[in-house]
Amino acid sequence: MTSTGSGRRVASGSPGFLKRSQPRYGEKAVKVLLVAASLVSVLTTVGIVIALIPPAAEFFGEVSFGDFITGTDWSPLFKPAHFGVLPLVTGTLMVTLIALLVAVPLGLGAAVYLSEYARPRVRAFFKPILEVLAGIPTVVYGFFALQALTPLLQDIWPGGEGPQVFNALSAGFVMGIMIIPTIASLSEDAMNAVPNDLRDGAFALGSSRMQVATRVVFPAALSGIVAAIVLGVSRAIGETMIVAIAAGGRPNLSFDPLEGMQTMTAFIAAAGIGDLPTGTIGYQTIFAVGSLLFVMTLVMNLVSIRLVRRYRQVYE
Amino acid sequence: MTTEPSRRIQRLRRRALRSAQTAAVASPSNAPDAPDAPDSTTAPRVSFRDAPPLTTPVFEVGSLSVFYGDHEAVRDVNMTIGDRQITAMIGPSGCGKSTMIRCFNRMNDLIPTARVVGKIRYHGENLYGKEVDPIEVRRRIGMVFQKPNPFPKSIYDNIAYGPRVGSFKGNLDDLVEETLTRAALWDEVKDKLKTSALALSGGQQQRLCIARTIAVKPEVILMDEPCSALDPIATAKIEDLMEHLAQEFTIVVVTHNMQQAARVSHRTAFFTSDVDVKGERHGRLVEYDETERIFSNPSDQRTEDYISGRFG
Amino acid sequence: MGSPVLDKGPEAGVPEVRRLKSDGTPWRERLFQLSLWASLAVGVVFLGCLLVYIVVEAWPRLNFRILTNFPDIIDPSQAGAQSAIMGTIWVIGFTALYCLPVGFLTAIYLEEYADPERWWNRAVEINIQNLAAVPSIVYGILGLGIISRGLGFGQTVLTASLTLSLLVLPTVIIAAREAIRAVPQSIREASLALGATQWQTIWRQVLPAAVPGMATGSILALSRAIGEAAPLLLLGGLTFITFNPTGPESAFTVLPIQIFNWISQSRSEFVSLAAAAIVILLVILLAMNSLAIWLRNRYSHRW
Repeated sequence: MTSTGSGRRVASGSPGFLKRSQPRYGEKAVKVLLVAASLVSVLTTVGIVIALIPPAAEFFGEVSFGDFITGTDWSPLFKPAHFGVLPLVTGTLMVTLIALLVAVPLGLGAAVYLSEYARPRVRAFFKPILEVLAGIPTVVYGFFALQALTPLLQDIWPGGEGPQVFNALSAGFVMGIMIIPTIASLSEDAMNAVPNDLRDGAFALGSSRMQVATRVVFPAALSGIVAAIVLGVSRAIGETMIVAIAAGGRPNLSFDPLEGMQTMTAFIAAAGIGDLPTGTIGYQTIFAVGSLLFVMTLVMNLVSIRLVRRYRQVYE
Repeated sequence: MTTEPSRRIQRLRRRALRSAQTAAVASPSNAPDAPDAPDSTTAPRVSFRDAPPLTTPVFEVGSLSVFYGDHEAVRDVNMTIGDRQITAMIGPSGCGKSTMIRCFNRMNDLIPTARVVGKIRYHGENLYGKEVDPIEVRRRIGMVFQKPNPFPKSIYDNIAYGPRVGSFKGNLDDLVEETLTRAALWDEVKDKLKTSALALSGGQQQRLCIARTIAVKPEVILMDEPCSALDPIATAKIEDLMEHLAQEFTIVVVTHNMQQAARVSHRTAFFTSDVDVKGERHGRLVEYDETERIFSNPSDQRTEDYISGRFG
Repeated sequence: MGSPVLDKGPEAGVPEVRRLKSDGTPWRERLFQLSLWASLAVGVVFLGCLLVYIVVEAWPRLNFRILTNFPDIIDPSQAGAQSAIMGTIWVIGFTALYCLPVGFLTAIYLEEYADPERWWNRAVEINIQNLAAVPSIVYGILGLGIISRGLGFGQTVLTASLTLSLLVLPTVIIAAREAIRAVPQSIREASLALGATQWQTIWRQVLPAAVPGMATGSILALSRAIGEAAPLLLLGGLTFITFNPTGPESAFTVLPIQIFNWISQSRSEFVSLAAAAIVILLVILLAMNSLAIWLRNRYSHRW
C-alpha cells in the first residue's frame, strides 16, 4: 500500500523502506547543544575547585596546615600576622548553633502543623508567608538584627551589660528565622511522603493525633527531617550578610553569645571588600578560608542529598 | 509453585470479565444480539464477520519476547496479522497485550529498560533492524491510546499536527476537512475548528485522536483499549468508525472487552499470563484464530474458559 | 514499620488500646497543637515586625530623592539610590540573559534526553543539587578568582552578572525541570505516535505547555539574585558609584550592596536611608513575585 500524502514516501515492502527518509542533522545538533548546556553546571563546580586550590596551595606553602587549623589567633592583615583559623570556626559554629536552637524547633513544629493538622485554608495562608520569609534578602535580616533586635535586647536584658552592639545572639536568632522555611518545607515534604496507611493503622488502634504525629509520622520521616536540618546547617554556615552586618568583624575565640565575633564568611567578605592585590598572603587567605567553608558545606550537602534519596526510595 | 498468585489472577480475571460483560450488556449496539440476562456467563450471540485471508501479511511476529529490565513481560509470541482487517488482542489484565501492541510501532523504545527479542517483520522488513528509523515506522503505523489525549490546542491544530511535523506540502485546510469527514466528525466540529480540543466530550476527543492518526496517512492503526475510558454510546460510535476504517487500514486493537472483540474484529488473539516455575508472571499468546472460531469453537481450554467466563 | 504503636501486634489487644486512650489527655493534645501553631506564628509575627519596623524607619526618607539622586556621603538627606537601582537592573538583565537559556537547555536535557541509569547523568544531577546549596560567598570567590582576575573581566557589570548567573543556575534548572515534568507523558506519546521526532515533540508540545511554569520558576530564581549581596562584595560592588552603568564593561553597584554600605555608615541619618532603600528593594521583589503568581494562575494547565 503506497501513501498519497507527502509523495516522498517509499512504498512499503520495497527495499529499505523503513530507513530514515531524510537526514535529521537538527536533532543531533540540538542534542549537542543540550549536552553542552548541562556541562555548564559541571564546569561551575570545576571552576570553584580551580579558583580555590592554587591560591590555597600557595597559602599553605607559607603557613602550615596544622598551624592554620589549630591556631587560636587570626590576624592575617596585621604585623605580625597570625593564621589560626579557630576563632573564625568557633564564631561560625556559635552563630550556627544559635540559629539551629531557633530554627529546628520552630521549623519542625511548623512542618508537623502543616503536614498533620492544618486544613487546606490554613495551609494556603501559612505557606506563602513561609515563602516570603525565605525570599527576603539577607541584608534586610542583617539590618533588622543590628538596628532593631540588638537595641531591644540591650533594653530588656535583665541585669549585667547585655549584648554588645555586634553580637552573635542577634545574628544567630535572625538567621534562625531565615532558615525556618528551609527546614519546614523540606521536613513537610518528608512527612507528606509517609503513606497514609501508617497513619490509618495508628488511628485505628486508638492513637490520638499527637501520638500519630510524634510516634508514627515523625520516626517514619526521620531521614528526610535530618536531611532538612543538615541542609539548614549548611545554609547557616554559608550565610554571609547577616553576620557581616550584625555579628561584627573581630575574630574572637569566645563562646559568649553576647560578644561580637567574626565568622568564616564574614571574614571572606571583609577581606574581599579590601580589594587585596593578587598573590599577597592576604589575598590567599580568602581562598584558604573559602576552601574550608566549601568542604564543610559540601560534606553536609552530600549527606543531605543522600538522606533525601533514601526516603524517596522507601516511599515513592 | 504456590496457589496464592494464581488465586489473585483468578480474581483479576473475574473482575475483568465482569466489567466486560456489564459494558457489553449496557451497549446499545449489542442489545438486539444479547437477550441474555446480565448475569449470564455465556458470551452473547453476535454475528461474526468473515475474516479476509492472510495472503498479504502486514506483521509477522516470530518467537517474540519483551523484557522490562530482567522481567520477561511477554514470552515467545508467534502470529501473523493480515492486511485491511481488524485484529483484536484480548485477555485478562497484565497479560502483556498492551506491551505487545506497543512493539508494533516501537513505542516501547520510550521505556529505557524495555528490550525486544525475536522478530517482528513489517511487510517483510525487520522492525527492529539497525537501519530502521522509529520515526519512519510511526508515520506508517499510527497509534490511538487508552485515554483520549488530544493536544491542548485547537481541533484544527490537532489534526494538522502530524502532517506539519511530517513536512506536508499541500493544502492543510483540505486535508483537515477530508480527515475529519473520514473520521465522521466533520459535521460535529466544522463550526468550531479553532476552539480547544479539550472542550470536546470524551468520545469526540477519542474520535479526534483517531482522525489525527489517519491525517498522517498511515497504513496501520494500533488502538490500545480505545474505548476503556468511554461510555457505551461513545463506544458504539468508535466501533462503527473502526469497521468503516478497516476497509482502508489495517487495525490492531487491544481490548479487555470480549464483546467488543467479537463485534468488530476479524481475527482474535487471546493472551493470558502464566506463572513459570520461578514464580514469575509473563504474558503468553494462547490462541490466535478467526474471531468466529475463537468465540464459538476455541481449541484451547483456557480460551474457552475465558470467553465463557469460567476460570477453573 | 518503626512505629511503636503498630509494632505491638495483636497480642496487646484491647488493654493496649485503652492505655493509649488514657495516655493522651485532652489538655496535652491541645498544648501540643498550640505549640505547633505557635511555631508558625513566630515566623508570621517576625515578618510583621520586620516590615513595620522598616517602613517606620524609612518613612522620613520615602520621597522621590531616593529614586532620582545619587549616593552622597557628605549630605545623607540629599543621597539617593539611583545608581544602585540602575545597577540592579543592568546586572539582573544580563544575569537573565546568561542563565535562563543555559538553565532551560539543561533542564530539557535532564528531563527529556538523559537516561537516569547512567552514572554521568546521576553525577550531573547530584552536582546541581549540591550547587544549589553552595554558599553564595563561594560563588563570589569563583567570580573573583576566575572571572574577574583569571579572565580579566575586572570589577564590571559583566563579571557580576556572570557570577550571579552561575549562582542562580541550579535554581532555574530545578524549577524548569519541575515544569517540564508536569507535562503529562500522554502528550509526548501522542506526538511521537504521529511520527514527530523527539525535538519536534519537545519544541511543539512539551515546551509550550511548560513555559508558564518555567517562567514562574525563573522569576523566583531571579528575585533571589536581586537580593544577593555577598558574592558581589568580592567583585567591587561596594565601590562608591555615583553614575549609572552604561554597558557590561561599566563599574557598578546594586541595591543590596548600597544598603549594606549605608548600614555600615556611622551617622544615624544613614539608617533611614538604608531602610528606604530596603523598601525599594522589597517593592521590586514583591512586584516580581506577584508577576510570578499571576503567571502561574493565568496559564496553569489542568490536564
